[in-house]
Amino acid sequence: MVDPETKTAARRPKAPAGALDRPFSRGDAVRWIVSAGSVGAVLLLWEWYGRAQETSLFFVPFTGVVAALWELGQTAEFWTAFEQTIIPFVWGWVLSLVVGIVVGLLIGAYPTIEALTKPYVTFLNALPVSTLVPVAVVLMGIGYASRVLVVFLFGVIEVTLNTAAGVRYVDRDLVEMGRAFNASRWRLFKRIILPAASPGIMAGVRIGTGRAVVGMVVVEILLVAVGMGRLILRYRGRFQSAELYAVVLALILFGIILQVVARRVERRVSRWKYELEGAP
Amino acid sequence: MIEIQEIGRTFPTRDGGAFEALKDATFSVKDKEFFSIIGPSGCGKTTLLKMVAGLVRPSSGQILIDGRAVTGPGDDRAMVFQHFVLLPWADILTNVGFGLEMRGLSRRDSREAAKPFLERVGLTRFADHYPHELSGGMQQRVGLARALAVAPDVLLMDEPFGALDAQTRQLMQEDLMRLWDSEQKTVIFVTHSMDEAAYLSDRVLVMDTHPGRVREILDVPLPRPRDESVRRSATFSDLTAHMWHELRGMIGDPTQPAPE
Repeated sequence: MVDPETKTAARRPKAPAGALDRPFSRGDAVRWIVSAGSVGAVLLLWEWYGRAQETSLFFVPFTGVVAALWELGQTAEFWTAFEQTIIPFVWGWVLSLVVGIVVGLLIGAYPTIEALTKPYVTFLNALPVSTLVPVAVVLMGIGYASRVLVVFLFGVIEVTLNTAAGVRYVDRDLVEMGRAFNASRWRLFKRIILPAASPGIMAGVRIGTGRAVVGMVVVEILLVAVGMGRLILRYRGRFQSAELYAVVLALILFGIILQVVARRVERRVSRWKYELEGAP
Repeated sequence: MIEIQEIGRTFPTRDGGAFEALKDATFSVKDKEFFSIIGPSGCGKTTLLKMVAGLVRPSSGQILIDGRAVTGPGDDRAMVFQHFVLLPWADILTNVGFGLEMRGLSRRDSREAAKPFLERVGLTRFADHYPHELSGGMQQRVGLARALAVAPDVLLMDEPFGALDAQTRQLMQEDLMRLWDSEQKTVIFVTHSMDEAAYLSDRVLVMDTHPGRVREILDVPLPRPRDESVRRSATFSDLTAHMWHELRGMIGDPTQPAPE
């Protein structure tokens, strides 16, 4: 606050400007080139090592995997498998976001609810969620429901914890200001607590989304051989390594796309916070 | 009229005792009066202001506004905070309209209604900027506009210029003076600056510390409207000298023996 009356604002023609809107700088370009170079180097190494093998039974060069993926993409079977995998995933994922955000908000706002749920949250957080996969299957069969449940369990905990933390660390001064203006509880929640907690919520959504993708693959490989998981198991069994790698690559691509989308949404929602504190 | 009646505030301490922050504070503030509260840090002046705002409950005593006891925040009061407390995710116009939004206006209506208040503090061209893009002085103008926008009878100001540099501070005092001359609201103004209290106020309450108490209430016999020149008047310097005399004994000076 040591600046005289006209600081940045007069110089800046238009809001909102800040770290996230700055033009693509030299530093960005260098970082981007280094990242791309790193990926390129690993792919080259992969390609070279793959070609040096006597047989493509265990290790396939990168171009071979891409070719196999291209081939698989032409088959109806691949897309049926993808659909089988994706539909329960979407249900479990959406459910984990909704439940995680609602429960997280309640935990952050009410100490009683925190006390009520703490044992379960701790329990789920302490345990590799994979251990619950057999339980889910015994409980709900090897159908659709158990897959939804596993995806949900994988995702929900991160969403809940990050949302609760977001609410708990809302600036007390902002809440007091809202109260001073005689805000009702609902308006206080809607106009102060929710936006102030949104960076935490969005971090939870991003991390939870990643975990849900893990859950989606784990359940299909561990216990219920359907969808992409069934393809993986089958190609592994037949030593069709190129196809095996191709399916894995497809799942990785899917995960990356979701992460990129989640990060974009997060940046948008949390922009004000990054401008105050610098982007993470 | 705001009547503060035998207000006390105690906090439980860790060793099971009680810390007395405020004791038997009794005074009243007249309608349309500019009333300052001055005192050393920890004398409970901010706590007292928050009690009038309805944000903090007194442990004993009561506060009456026009005869009605304060039980919580109300539409008749608005507060200006030391650290501005603007919504970092909302633009300036939304921030100015925030109080109106809390009164039930829609976002659009409150933004519209906020425009004249933004103009009154001279920030119209910053309507679509964000708080972090503004200097401290400008942010506090936004805080002031937000409070004025809800048309309160009583303006509660908690060291509003305490976080600003000296030049900005003086500028803000003059602007506040002009605004108050045209608005004629009751203002309770907490500060630790003697100049500020003397320049702005009709009366100044000097608080004692450990526990916080009313030490004395001073009249400020300076004519209104006031401008910069009053700062050089004999009345002004007598007044601030008197305040300093009252306050210096309370501000523990480690190089001097404790006052009797």
